[in-house]
Amino acid sequence: MSSLLKVDDLSVQFATPRGNLRAVRNVSFELANGESLGVVGESGSGKTVLSRAIMGLLPGTATRTGTITYEGQNITDLSTEEVRDLWGTGMAMIFQDPMTALNPVRRIGTQVTESLTVRLGMSKKDARVKAVELLKRVRIPDPEAMLRKFPYQLSGGMRQRIMIAIAVSCNPHLLFADEPTTALDVTVQAQVLELLTELRQEFNMAMILVTHDLGVVAGHTDKIAVMYAGNVVEYAPTRQLFANMKMPYTEALLKSIPRLETPTGTRLPVIEGRLPDPTKDLVGCAFANRCVYATDKCRNETPPFVDGGNNHFYRCWFPIGGDK
Amino acid sequence: MSETDSIATTEPIVNPAKKRKKKPVGFYIAGFWLGLIVLLGLFGWILPLPNWDEAFFDDLGVGPFSPRHFLGTTQDGYDMLAGLINGARLSAFVSFFSVLIGGGIGSFIGITAAYFRGKYDTVVVTIFNVMLSIPNLVLSLALLSVLAYSDADNPSSTSRRVVVLVISLIIVIIPILGRISRGSALQWSSREFVLASKSMGTKNFTIIWKHILPNVAPAILAIGFLAIGSVIIVEGSLSILGIGVPGGASWGSMLANGRGNIAFSPHEVYMPALCIAFTVIASNWFGDYVRSSLDQREAKI
Repeated sequence: MSSLLKVDDLSVQFATPRGNLRAVRNVSFELANGESLGVVGESGSGKTVLSRAIMGLLPGTATRTGTITYEGQNITDLSTEEVRDLWGTGMAMIFQDPMTALNPVRRIGTQVTESLTVRLGMSKKDARVKAVELLKRVRIPDPEAMLRKFPYQLSGGMRQRIMIAIAVSCNPHLLFADEPTTALDVTVQAQVLELLTELRQEFNMAMILVTHDLGVVAGHTDKIAVMYAGNVVEYAPTRQLFANMKMPYTEALLKSIPRLETPTGTRLPVIEGRLPDPTKDLVGCAFANRCVYATDKCRNETPPFVDGGNNHFYRCWFPIGGDK
Repeated sequence: MSETDSIATTEPIVNPAKKRKKKPVGFYIAGFWLGLIVLLGLFGWILPLPNWDEAFFDDLGVGPFSPRHFLGTTQDGYDMLAGLINGARLSAFVSFFSVLIGGGIGSFIGITAAYFRGKYDTVVVTIFNVMLSIPNLVLSLALLSVLAYSDADNPSSTSRRVVVLVISLIIVIIPILGRISRGSALQWSSREFVLASKSMGTKNFTIIWKHILPNVAPAILAIGFLAIGSVIIVEGSLSILGIGVPGGASWGSMLANGRGNIAFSPHEVYMPALCIAFTVIASNWFGDYVRSSLDQREAKI
């Protein structure tokens, strides 16, 4: 498998009145064609900013450092027009909230056909035929009628399917799914994730699935990157990660998912405390003051990103189960 | 028919998009009046009426409903109805074009400022604030007295004066609609669907045209109708100050000519005044209706 995306030492800072906010700190990873990566972390850990930074969709107050190589081309220094050529046809994004990601005053049809006519130069008639096909593909019943509807007439799950149809309409090679199921019911969640996995295999798309739910990424990704305070703290193939978790933070995340086996009345374990202040420089391990295993060494010395073998990387002085 | 039958034959749920709120009566009255003004302004010259600028020395200061002059004449013998219809043409032309052009320019600048932000936005907002700080009557007065000198070859021509009037009104309208559209566009530009469209590689001006303008348009229309009303008032005020369109060619001008004769022929004053008042009220009602239908649409989302 050839490399599709290579992110090297990517950092993102926002200029705020309180000082420089470091949203993403020195993140590196690689993604092959058709591969899927899950980016997991709690709110504010920088996972959304990471995906937008790779696409180049950051607001004007952000500064991005590091290099991003897409299909062998360094896209970090491209002009806005050159990057725009990649959007839609190369990289596309599905947004978290399907309620706000569709224009309320325009019909579904015009929104689905927009990128087909604008980006692929299809005629309106062809674009409509293609749109019906796409809607069928994302399993929307009666696609012809759907094209004439307005977003407010649709349920959240339907809207997210429309968003997926729009995102894959120009056959992108890389799909960013930014918490695509967070706003949806659990049953619909499973359907949407199933659909994404199917589409990914069908179009040979690589996917970066951003979520705060380890359960979501478990069955739908090849690799997982766990983020905390802008850092990638653990990075491993999905099976390897779940079988042999090294980072206390990943363990804490997994433990905080409710389970059916536990008796009624059991308290759900939570991660006490909050994320460190993103405007300050980190001293020691970022997770130290919330970690149950933390020692003085954790609080004073920054742990390196260690290669634990089997493509398993982690950032911890005292990994679970010891070294290797 | 039994209870269950009536349930079984219940009408299917009507598509809510097709069900419109009943329009208030005022909307129809306002629409009728504005339509009448526009029709008379465009096609009033077809009607078999006396010339508006011809003095009838046999009928000086005749009251309304006289056989030859339906709405009477002025003290100088000009036919009132013909004058009002001719005034409608000028008032409709002046207000419509100044709001259309001024609103178009203002909205474009406002929306692009809100979309692109940065230094361009700062400059635009500063200029708008400076323009809004000048009283519009004073601005029009200054422009008209400097630029609207009469043509040496054709001293009676008023076209230059009308053009300068329209330009000065455009300058007044630009910052008003510019600020409104900027404010509205600012809110819509930060919505996720704009980012979503951008992430599909849509160009900025396509996004502005297809995603932001349809959302901002109701606000622009509502304020635009209000602006038509205030433009008519400004035009009337300028005439009364003696620098509008001369010779009773507009409603304001008729009012200005007739105000000396208010004791002898009051219809000379109240008729153009009523025309101005009705038109301003009608355009305000229309604007209000557009605004309330905007609120209703917001509620559905």
